[in-house]
Amino acid sequence: MPEDLRTIRDRKGMSVNQLASRSGISIATLIQYEKGEQEIHPGDLRRLAKMLYVDEWDINPRSSPPPRKERPAKPPRPKKEPPKEKKPPPRSPPARNTQIVHLLALAARFDVDRAALEAEIGKPLEELTQKEARYWNGRFMRRMAEEQPPKRAIDRKRAYLPEGVDGFELAYLQEQQEAGIPLHFTLFDGQTFEGVVVGFSPYQITIREPGGNEITLNKLALAYYRKAGDAAGGAA
Amino acid sequence: MSLGDELRYLRAFHGGGNLMEIEDEIGLKPGTLRYMEQRYRCVGEDDEVLAKIAAYYDVPLGTLQYHRERYRKAISAYLQQAMEAETTARFELRTGETLAGRVRWWDLGAFGLESEGGGPLTVVQRHAVLDWQGQ
Repeated sequence: MPEDLRTIRDRKGMSVNQLASRSGISIATLIQYEKGEQEIHPGDLRRLAKMLYVDEWDINPRSSPPPRKERPAKPPRPKKEPPKEKKPPPRSPPARNTQIVHLLALAARFDVDRAALEAEIGKPLEELTQKEARYWNGRFMRRMAEEQPPKRAIDRKRAYLPEGVDGFELAYLQEQQEAGIPLHFTLFDGQTFEGVVVGFSPYQITIREPGGNEITLNKLALAYYRKAGDAAGGAA
Repeated sequence: MSLGDELRYLRAFHGGGNLMEIEDEIGLKPGTLRYMEQRYRCVGEDDEVLAKIAAYYDVPLGTLQYHRERYRKAISAYLQQAMEAETTARFELRTGETLAGRVRWWDLGAFGLESEGGGPLTVVQRHAVLDWQGQ
């Protein structure tokens, strides 16, 4: 009887992170599989079955959605006290000198001098409050934004940099894993290992040796690898 | 091998210590080593910093200076050029071997090297390359 992916993973005592790392499937995809939001891709099903040491048909390809947790009943809200009488809002303090200087500078951009500005506002600048100064500064700023010609969208294409991705190597490993082709690995210190790939991540490759042993090779320790049995192609 | 890869390699061989602790022990500004291990361009790690790191890892300063000149962007440029021109590229590896062939693809961590005449593909880890040269 097939079981949901999450049930099997929990039973194996494996976290989503661990399963993602071992199977090479992203955490986001695994979560979607476990929630039943997406049917498990056949290729992923094979990898998951391998990682969880079960048969493919033991995993339900579309998990049932997790049961909704019932929230405990909220305690009743205490009754609100009758609203207190509202105090009149405090009067805004007089405008700061910097606000006045800024306002005059903005007005000057539109050839509006101090006298004209005061006439437009309807009172001397010294009597402005902070709130009013903010309003007038904002008004001039908006006017500036409206009158400026729109910026040209920059037509710049980003260069494609293969070093921004590790897709080629992962695609190669995926291909070899699916085909079950044994690879021959050479480490920095000259040690060699041979086996079929059972899982990989950007930092590690796990292989199963012909004897059945599973070994995880750290990529930092690797020098190169190729299909087992191929002559030392390229070695000079 | 770039300076960053060499530093990662040395750190792994010295027990894989924590970067912040090593920086603190050497007397470097926090983030310096992390930045050096990750960066792609050669933007001038000065000799004073390199000397401190060399002393910590007990390697000659010249080794780190050698790797500084072989930064990751430089090998990227070489790989791209060799791939486009379909010329034979030659790489000296840290294992002491020299591999030669056509570059079929390259990415963040490795490149596919096909031996002459459409022979088998070898996936070479970029951090394993000590030096390179065209033909």
